Formats: sequence, C-alpha cells, structure tokens
Amino acid sequence: MFDFGVRILAQARFRPEFIWENRDVFLSGVRLTVFIAIVAFALATVFGLAVALLRMSKNRLVAPLMAAYINIFRAIPLLVFVVFVYYGIAIQFDVRISAIQAGILVLTLQYSAWLGEIFRGGIQAVSDGQTQAALSVGMSRPQTFFRVVLPQAIRIVIPPTGNMFIGMIKDSSLVFIIGVPELFRVSSVMANRTFRYFEVYLGAVLFYLILTTAAYFGVKYLEKRFALVDVLTTKVRSPLARRRGIRLRMLQEAVAAEREAESSRTATAI
Amino acid sequence: MGPTEDARPVVRLRNIHKSFGANHVLKGIDLTVGQGQHVVIFGPSGSGKSTLLRTTNLLETPDSGSVWFDGKEYGPGIEGEDLPRGKARLLRQQIGMVFQQFNLFPHITALDNVALALRRVKKMKQADAELQAARYLARVGLLDKVAAYPAQLSGGQQQRVAIARSLVMEPKVMLFDEPTSALDPELVGEVLAVMRNLAESGMTMVVVTHEMGFAREAGDLNIFMDEGVVVETGGRELYDDAREPRTRAFFEAIL
Repeated sequence: MFDFGVRILAQARFRPEFIWENRDVFLSGVRLTVFIAIVAFALATVFGLAVALLRMSKNRLVAPLMAAYINIFRAIPLLVFVVFVYYGIAIQFDVRISAIQAGILVLTLQYSAWLGEIFRGGIQAVSDGQTQAALSVGMSRPQTFFRVVLPQAIRIVIPPTGNMFIGMIKDSSLVFIIGVPELFRVSSVMANRTFRYFEVYLGAVLFYLILTTAAYFGVKYLEKRFALVDVLTTKVRSPLARRRGIRLRMLQEAVAAEREAESSRTATAI
Repeated sequence: MGPTEDARPVVRLRNIHKSFGANHVLKGIDLTVGQGQHVVIFGPSGSGKSTLLRTTNLLETPDSGSVWFDGKEYGPGIEGEDLPRGKARLLRQQIGMVFQQFNLFPHITALDNVALALRRVKKMKQADAELQAARYLARVGLLDKVAAYPAQLSGGQQQRVAIARSLVMEPKVMLFDEPTSALDPELVGEVLAVMRNLAESGMTMVVVTHEMGFAREAGDLNIFMDEGVVVETGGRELYDDAREPRTRAFFEAIL
C-alpha cells in the first residue's frame, strides 16, 4: 500500500508526443549544451596545445609544473570540481562569475589536461628525423614545427580528440548542478514539474544521442578530409583536387618540354 | 672528375669534439673539404662518422670546435679564439643533407617535399617553387611522381626525392649519411646513379657509406675513422694500399 503513489506514476500512459510538444524546452537546452561544449572544447584545444608544448619544454621548472597541472586536473571528479569552483572559490573570494562561465572554465581546465596529453603523444609520435630533415634544408624551428611536425601530429590525434569532443558533450551535463540550464537541467526541471519522467528523460537521451552521433560523423569527415589522396592516380571528386590534378599535369608537360628542348640543343651543339 | 690538390676550401672543420654523456664520440677532428672534392668517410659503426657529418651542418652541435664555411665561422668555436659566429640556420641553407632513412615528409606530395623549403626559406611564390621543384624531380627521374605521397614510393624513389629536396636549395656542399644502407639491394643502383651524376657535375660531396664500389670510384679524399679519431686519410690508393693496420683490418672484415 505504501507504494501507492509510485504505482500511479508507473501506470501513467506513455505519451511519446509529449517530447515533440515540449521541443522548444529541449532545444533551448540543446543550444546551451552545444554552446558550452564547443566553447569549452575550443578553449581546451588551444590551452591543451600550450600544455603539451610546455610539458615538453626543456626548462626544469616548466615541465614538472605542467605535469602537476595535468595530474591534478585529471584527478578531480568533474562534478566536485564544478561545485568547488562555483560555490567554493567564487563565494569565498567573492569572484563574480556566472554559472555558465564557471561551467566552461571547469570543463576547459580539465579538458586541457586530457587534450594536452593526447597532443603531446601525437607530437612525440612524429619521428625526430622529420625535424632534422626540415632543419637540414634551412627551415627555422617554428617553421619546422608548424609546417612539418604539427600537420603530421594533427592526423594522429584526430580520432582520440574526436572521442574527447564526444566526451565533452556528455560531461557538459554535469554543470546542471550549479543551475546552468543546459539540456539535462531543463529536462530535470521539466520532469519535476510535469511528472512525465519517462518521456522527459527519453527525450534527453535522444537529444544527447543525436548530438554525439553528429559529432561522430564530424570526426569521420575530418579524418577523410585529412586523408592523403594522390590527385593524379586516384579518381577525385572534389573540384579543388581536380583542378590541382590539371595543374600538376601541365607542370609535368612544361618541364618535360623544357628537358626535351635542352637535350636537342646539346645534341645540335655536338 | 677529381679536383686538383690545391682546390679552394669550402668547408673546414677544426678540432671538433662531441660527447654523448660519458661517450666521447668525436675526439678533435680536423677536416678540410675543397671545392668539387668528393670525400668518403668510412669506418666501423660507432666510429663517429655519422656524428661528424651531422656536426658539419650543425644538426649536431659540437661541444667545442669550429666549422668554417664560405668565409664565416659557425659552431661553438675554439677556446682562445674570438671570431664572430654565424647562425646554424644560415649554414644549413647552403649545405644539403641526405639521410639514411630518407626522412621525407609523409604528409605532403613528392612535389611539395621538394618545394617546401623554396617557399618557406627562399620565400618563392607557389607557382615558381613548384616549377623549380618539378625540374629537380625530373633531374632524379621522378617527374611522373609529382603527385605521389612518400608512402606510395619505393625506398629508392624516396631517396631520390630526398636528394632532389636538398639539391633544389642549390647547396654548395652535399652531405650523404649512409644513403643506401636502408635500401633493398636492387634499389641501391638507382640512388648511386643519381649520386654519380651529381659527382660528375662537380658538386662538392661528403659521403658516409659502406658502398665500397662507389667509394673507390668517386672518393678523391678517403677518410677512415675509428673510435672518434681519423685513423688514416688518402686518395684512391688508400683502398689498395692502406698503411694503418686498423684500416687494413677493416677492409679485410668487410671484403
């Protein structure tokens, strides 16, 4: 008898259309989730690259400092970290910071640590011979890094970085605890008001699935976009690649003609 | 194709020392390379020959010693001397280097491998750089591979692209660090043919190699190194008429 209330809720008829009727509420949450994930991830990418480079620094102070940063920020549970920053630090030290800013800050700090390690792995996976070859033709250190090492490292880190972005979309739900009205927050508020727990959380699950699936295809596209395609021997569809193929063929013909002319000139001279 | 004895010097190494930890790899090397000269360095592995080559363009910074090139001193220098030092980058722009492992840039095409330094170091326009790069690829017989990525090329082809990548900068000296050691035997010939052409064209070359056939034929100045010192130097006669027992022992071991 004491589970009376629960039974009533459990017996409520499933109304899938409830999700559609409340799409605007869901979508407002989706928008904020996407905003937080993209902004925090973009910042974390920049800081992560800095962390990776500083971590590889030969400086005896900088490298251990970065190792400590990585270890500390990876070790704190995100949920605890969010609460600590927004309710702990912000109140204690009277820092005026909005919940959204606090959420983005925490996600950025933690993801910089993760991405920093991924980027370091990618950069170190590019063989030292590459750096030496670039230096040997007179390129500067920055040119060597940005033109030779980094492009190869990017190709290596695209799949793990893509995984991190999908993780970011999911982890952004943890900022619900400080009241950021992202997808999970608006869902739980809606559920508490309407008692339509199943429909609401099913909706939330579906929207998260859509977001992460879109991110997955985005990563796939990037992998393809960065794949190496020989424009002369492969059937290429993109107009850019086709134009490049035509240019290269013209270049080949020009040089071949040049050499032809030269060899006939030496022949006449003899 | 050999130059005269009094050929104008292009590179001069003086008292080069280099240690890796407790391992004293180069123990005071002196070497003068003349214009158009073809220097062959050989010796057992660990003798310091590759390190010596790599200090010549300062890919390896010596602990002490000086590299003179085209009127300027480079490297850390010699104690007691106070000569102005040139920048390593300037030196490397004028000295080409070919590596045992090719070290082509795998993320760009053969053409872009050759054109990269023209664009970034010589600041040439893309069209001009590509035309020049294509000419040098043609010179090593790979004009048909302009759009290929290194992974699509055989080892011999990769090494020829690597040679073109160095040559396109119009260096005054070419360094070869065991250029055929990583190749399958049937691919060695095509690379040596390119090197022979280069030697005949009068390029100044310093070659670390185990290809004794090539060394005999091209080497005007032959240097036998062991344990971080030059044991013996000589002209073509060195191969038949070595004086030092260590040199003779080495020849016996490899032939």
